[in-house]
Parts: sequence; structure tokens; C-alpha cells
Amino acid sequence: MNGDTFQTGVQLGLFSCRTCGRVSQLAHPVAEGTPLHCPRCNSALNHTLPASLQRTWAYTLAATILYVPSNLLPIMATSSVFGDAEHTILGGIEELRASGDWLLALIVFVASIAVPMLKIGALLLLSITAQRRSRWKQLERAQIYRMIDAVGHWSMLDVYVVVLLVGTFSFGALGSVQPGPGLLSFGAVVVLTMLAAGSFDPRLIWPEDTEATPTDD
Amino acid sequence: MTEPVLDVNANAPLAPASARTQERPAAARTHAALIARPDLVVCTECGAVHERIPIARGTVARCRRCNALLGRSHLMRLDALLAFAVAALLLIVIGNTAPIVTLDLRGVMTQATLPQAIKATWQAGQPLVALLTAATALVFPLCFTVLRVYLLASLLRGQVPRAFVPAMRLLGFVTRWGMVEVFMMGTLVAVVRGASLTSATPGAGLFAYAALTLLLTSITAAGTHSLWKLGSELGPTR
Repeated sequence: MNGDTFQTGVQLGLFSCRTCGRVSQLAHPVAEGTPLHCPRCNSALNHTLPASLQRTWAYTLAATILYVPSNLLPIMATSSVFGDAEHTILGGIEELRASGDWLLALIVFVASIAVPMLKIGALLLLSITAQRRSRWKQLERAQIYRMIDAVGHWSMLDVYVVVLLVGTFSFGALGSVQPGPGLLSFGAVVVLTMLAAGSFDPRLIWPEDTEATPTDD
Repeated sequence: MTEPVLDVNANAPLAPASARTQERPAAARTHAALIARPDLVVCTECGAVHERIPIARGTVARCRRCNALLGRSHLMRLDALLAFAVAALLLIVIGNTAPIVTLDLRGVMTQATLPQAIKATWQAGQPLVALLTAATALVFPLCFTVLRVYLLASLLRGQVPRAFVPAMRLLGFVTRWGMVEVFMMGTLVAVVRGASLTSATPGAGLFAYAALTLLLTSITAAGTHSLWKLGSELGPTR
């Protein structure tokens, strides 16, 4: 931290609309929990996303569970005159590497193996630290959040590759490509981690200095 | 860009609690209580409040506390963005009617466009994967482009588009879930994987998607702030 102090939207009664970006200020205090709506676009105004951590946890855990079958089950099966074979994600990367396409093998490895794994790890880290209202390495955690939000959809790469091969490689008895059951769980992992990143409210990384004491009403 | 303050008492001293709890129509009350502060920026990621300053051309503004992107100056004018969106619409048509890759197995040729590949995946027993691909590589980018054309064409004529706010919300959704750039990389990998099985040639669809990626990336980088601003300056939204 650079020692600067910042006033926050919570302290000043300022809301930035999550949909249209309009900055609104409350003219007078209202009761806790009063629903407020953006005058420009009528979206709900809030300082923290409702149920952000619960939703992030749910999506992250679902993604973690599905990550196992997505890597163990074949994502595609090829049958040709040379014989039948089933391909997992790792197997496909190995085939690319073996045929000499180092760069593409690296791209697919990053998109299909590294990104989902790092993403799940990062989401767990963000959720746990946010739950503890930690002030540990806030700038770095904000950076991690932005990164997983930005790269998340790149994992869809392998899904597209298989869909295109299924559509193109159709020579009947001579050879064909079939999508495997791993493809669905892999696609689900990508969607679930994107939903998890979208549910996480980065403001949880920056807990307010003066905590309002929990009220009973 | 000052929006009218709807409540004449907005700047009055705090009303007594009894007055505040009196029943008034909920929507009117909450709208009246919120004053526009176009002079301020609240960081969307950490909530820190900054004064809004003009951003020099080609530079970005970042939050001093968490380094999040707060805004950027627009290098492209709105009419240029409209031209990009129209061009993108044409490229989507080409990208989905021209084959993406042609395979040649000892004289037997096969080729597939994106819709054909989606159909084949559906018929091969993975309808959900087919739907996921159709949505993220075809439907959402198409919605994104059509919405951009619709919104910009109307705003540039000086009118608030019909259903402005729902259209802008949908635009936000399809921007997040459209994945043209990933699909473009997927076509490249598919050509190389196809070439390892037999001889493969990239088709016109691949080049159309490559060009589409560049256009959509430039359009997305311009953001939606200027659309919201222009829309609310032109008249009542919603």
C-alpha cells in the first residue's frame, strides 16, 4: 500500500451502477436493506453483490468436481482404417507435440490444462481470503481476480477443436471423429468457472475500514 | 451532462426519521433520493472514490488503490464503430457459409462450415456441447454485432433506441459470453490436428473469422460508456 487513504462509496453513500456506470449519491440516509434502483437504467444498486461468496463457492466446487472426469474421460474418439483410438485432453496435446507443433501444443496446454487448474486454485484462494476479510496482498489478489476474469473463456478452445473435427472429419467407413463424454464435462468446467469468476465481487478483497456492526433488524 | 435532480428536497437537511418512514411509492422514493454525481468515479472493483478527470487521447485511467481500469479515451468515433459493426455482420455471414477447413483423404474431400459442424456434433450424441458452441461462437457474436449496429445507428441519428436499456443489458451479456477470438484459435488448432490425420486446407470461413476477431476486439475495447452517455443525453432512457 502507498499510504494514501481513500474514501469509499460505502462511506459517502455513493453507488456506481453495475450495469450502466452512472454514479448516484444518496441524498439522505435510508434504512438498511432499502432497495435502491439506478435512475438511469433501473438496475439494483448495491455496494456488494448479494450472496457473492455463496455463489462463487457453489460454482467453484461444482467446477472442481467436474474437472476430474473432464481430464480422465476421452474428449473425442477417432476411427479410421488405421484403427480406433480415444483421445483425452492430455493425449491430444501429446499428439500435437509429437507431430512437431510445439507452439500449438503449448497453446492448447495453457488453454486446456493450465488455465482451468489455475483458475480453480485462484477462485479458492480469493474465496477463502475474502471470507476471512483478509488484508493480505490486496493488490496482488485484485490482479489475480482481473486475470482469471480475462482469460477464463480461452479454455473453450478444445471444445471448438473437437466440434470442428467432428464436422469435418467424416469419411464414413474410411474414418470419422466422434465427440467423447469428457467434452461435455470439460465445457461445463469452463462455463462454471466463468460463472464463479462473474459471481465473485472484487470489493470483498477490500473490506471497509470502519465496519458497521451487524444489526439485528 | 447533468441529469435533473428529481427531488427538490434532495439537498435539504436530513428529514426526521418519522418522515422518512412514511409510505410513498417505493420507486418514486428511491429514485428521488439518488442524485447524479457525474463529477465522481467509484471504482467498480474496490469502491474507492475518485474525482472524474478528462482522459487524454490514447490513455487509460486506473484506480489509485487497486489499479483497476476506470476508463479509457476512445480513439474511435461512433460512426467508425458503426462501420466496424456493419463489416463484422458481413464477416459473420461469410464465416458461417464458407467452409472453415477442407480435408482430403486420398481424393475423398470433406469440408464443413460452423453450422454443419454444430449439427454433426448434435447428431453424434452431444447436443449440449453443440448448443454451447452454437451460443458462444455463433449466436452471441451475432447478437453482439446486430445490437451494436442497431444501437449506434439509432444514437447517431439522434434518437434513443427503442428498448435502449434492455438492449444495453443484453449487449453486456453477449459481450461476456461471446468467444469469437477463442473460436478463431480453435479453427487453427483443428486445421493442424486435421493435417496430422490427413491433408487439410484452411477455408474462407477461417479467414473470415480471423478478420471478425480483429473487428470485434476493436469494438469491444471501445466499451459501452459512450453509448450510455449519449443515450441518456438524448432523452429519457427505458
